[in-house]
Amino acid sequence: MRISRYFLYIAILIILLTLPFYTGVYFLNVMDIILIYIALALSWDMLLRSGQISFGVAGLFGVGGYAAVLLNLNTGMNPLISIVMGGLAAGILAWLVGMAVLQLRGMYFAIVTLALAEIFRVIIRNLPDLTGGPEGTVLPSAIFAGNSTKTYWLAIAVAVVSVIASELFRRTRIHFALTSIRNDEIVAKSSGIDVFKYLVFIFVITSAIQGMTGGAYAHIYGFVSPEGSFSVDFTLLPIAMALLGGMHSTWGPVVGAVVLGVVSEFLKLQIPYGHLLVYGLIIVITILFFPQGILGTVGQRLKNRQRLRGSP
Amino acid sequence: MNVFSKLKQSNYQIAIVSVFLAIILASWKPHVLIEGIQRACLYAVIALPMALILGIVGIINLAHGEYMMLGAYFAYFLNVYTGMDPLLAVFPALLAFFLIGIVSYKAIIKYVLDAPELNQLLLTFGLAMVIEQLANLVWTSRPIKLPLKYVSSSATIGSFTFGTYEFIYVGGAMIVLIGLQLFLKRTNTGQAALAVGQNPRGAKLVGIHVDRTYLFIFSLSIALVGAIGAVFMTRHSIFPLVGAPFTMKSFCLIAMAGIGNLMGILWCSLILGLAENFVLSFRGYAGWADILFFALIVLVIMVRSHQRQVK
Amino acid sequence: MIVLKTENVTRYFGGLMALNGVNIEFRENEILGIIGPNGAGKTTFINVVAGIYLPTEGKIFFNGQDISELPAHKRCRLGIGRTFQLVRPLPGLSLLENIMVGSLFGKGLGQREARKQAEELCEFLGLSEITRDITRMTALEIKKMEIAHAMATQPKLLFLDEVMAGLNSDETTQMIDLVRKICSRGITIGIVEHVMRVIRELTDRVVVLDWGEIIAEGPYGEVSNDPKVVAAYLGEEN
Repeated sequence: MRISRYFLYIAILIILLTLPFYTGVYFLNVMDIILIYIALALSWDMLLRSGQISFGVAGLFGVGGYAAVLLNLNTGMNPLISIVMGGLAAGILAWLVGMAVLQLRGMYFAIVTLALAEIFRVIIRNLPDLTGGPEGTVLPSAIFAGNSTKTYWLAIAVAVVSVIASELFRRTRIHFALTSIRNDEIVAKSSGIDVFKYLVFIFVITSAIQGMTGGAYAHIYGFVSPEGSFSVDFTLLPIAMALLGGMHSTWGPVVGAVVLGVVSEFLKLQIPYGHLLVYGLIIVITILFFPQGILGTVGQRLKNRQRLRGSP
Repeated sequence: MNVFSKLKQSNYQIAIVSVFLAIILASWKPHVLIEGIQRACLYAVIALPMALILGIVGIINLAHGEYMMLGAYFAYFLNVYTGMDPLLAVFPALLAFFLIGIVSYKAIIKYVLDAPELNQLLLTFGLAMVIEQLANLVWTSRPIKLPLKYVSSSATIGSFTFGTYEFIYVGGAMIVLIGLQLFLKRTNTGQAALAVGQNPRGAKLVGIHVDRTYLFIFSLSIALVGAIGAVFMTRHSIFPLVGAPFTMKSFCLIAMAGIGNLMGILWCSLILGLAENFVLSFRGYAGWADILFFALIVLVIMVRSHQRQVK
Repeated sequence: MIVLKTENVTRYFGGLMALNGVNIEFRENEILGIIGPNGAGKTTFINVVAGIYLPTEGKIFFNGQDISELPAHKRCRLGIGRTFQLVRPLPGLSLLENIMVGSLFGKGLGQREARKQAEELCEFLGLSEITRDITRMTALEIKKMEIAHAMATQPKLLFLDEVMAGLNSDETTQMIDLVRKICSRGITIGIVEHVMRVIRELTDRVVVLDWGEIIAEGPYGEVSNDPKVVAAYLGEEN
């Protein structure tokens, strides 16, 4: 990475970190949501790079939330540590599911993940003593006593973790493995890649991120419930965001999350019921017309222009 | 042929298992047997059109349950505005949804047939969301139901009573299954469809119009599932999300039976239906019934992947 | 020394028997030709040895070790490499990076070493402009890249699956020299080909497959005059 890029990233980070000092609570709350969605969109994209789709983001997200809240309530665990534990719980569940199902991949895997959110909802509703049942569980106080600056910094931390993970996946040998597996599994196998092991690994890591994000969300808002924590929003929006911004990249999902995060705030006020329609439409339209997303198409057009100009 | 006898064997195995379960239940909990069979046929009749698309067009339609939901609302509004009985509405529904299927195929589905499976999954997922949310927007999430008298008909055998209306699903499943088998094996269009399903390029070479076949099969599937929605409407309350669980359970059944095995879907749905009702019969554990399909599909996948390893 | 030995390898696909009781030995550092009419099972044989399919019956021994049940990626790491007929280079990665995949996972090298090895392979095979755009490569360059990719895993036994297809006469000569160079590195080579000139000039021995069975074995001169072999080839429209 060139030095100038480093400075750019650090500058952005500093601006983001100091936002609380010159903006209001409402703005910070909107940023919280955007940052959460950045983490979800990125982690979904990371799995997509291997060629697999997970429709279970909401499921892992909710599991992380429940784990974090319940551990905190029942064992007095430090909220921050419980958030990490939420990630761990999601990771372990992903490991179990992945080991069982990833041998068959493709649509089998995708549909199993589609069912995940519903399954966890059913389990949680049926263990009311442990989980608070259909009404959910409320925390006596949100993390940091609801201090919006600190919750904002927590959200930034979560988003930064996912950005770092995504970049690691792009700069290390993992990138080669993912691209190869996605392109052609047989060739990948013949190059010495243990495809199954890699897929399980990626599913576990991305699910852990989703779980950790869920834990942070649960603590910031102070409650978990079967309907709220596993809402289809948390699967639908990240997918739309990653597709819109451009898949297989770090900045694509980030751009998508920022754009759609802002849009969703407006939409929720204008169309309280069915605003999710927009995201469904975005998915359909991008798959049909812009398979590379905004960023991808722009990037491609720039490359084409360069080529026409004949640069090396 | 080798392949056919193997297929029949696995069907026989599943059939024996389910008949065995049925006998046990008949003596112990007859309610479970009757209601299980009824529920099983509901699942089967919804899964069969999805299996048709998957086997022949080769695409998985994640919006399948949503079309059923639309069929249900179609029948409801037909009743509200014209007083037509929803069971009769099956016929206009078949026509209407055949047209809807044509539109869906030409406007959307056609474009991802050659695309990687990923795109197909994402597209139909997005489509499902669009349909669900449109329904939510237009009709809100409030459940609606038609008060029909004949749906509560029941019969009594010995000391227990059971609902008899739900046997309509059994009838429906038989009609659809036998109808599809006859169509696929005895008609020209059906045999062409089978050929396309097995080998699209080969079929094209012998002059079969592949795109038209896909269009027909897809629209037929949507027509069937819309009509089933109309029947479903008579007995259950409907709301925009009512179809989603059926998509997943249908896939579970197809995965259990194996792609292309229509007969097997009936037996597998028997297992699922009986199992679910069995769990439902235990007061304290009723809530766990909805997990069964998940456990089944994970089990099936594990077994299948082990089989593939050994090969 | 015998590098690879297949013992009675049989492979069914449903009702179709693709390989039937195949017994082949690869001697160290030889170039063994595998020929036969279309559909004879040549690529299937490579797939079974490389681990893409497990044999329905029979065993495979690599340097004395029974690898019949090993998954493909483990066989690659042990030293079995192969090229593919239909080459789909990885999108978004440069030529060099495409080759590096083999070094990274077949040999477990770090990124820097992998890059160096990939560069060395490019030089060895005569591939220039190593960071060039892979969507605009000639047929010869694509073949070389595919071979480099396979060699990056540092195989002891390398299968070349119809690498001469689509090359003109000069290019074929280049390729033949290249294969000899590869062999001089101590690698044992199994070469599947339809272009008989290649088989004639390169191979020490030839094995002929037809309908999944070996119908002839020996030096090219003998085999090409074997009436069974001639009949097999005449039976297919070439």
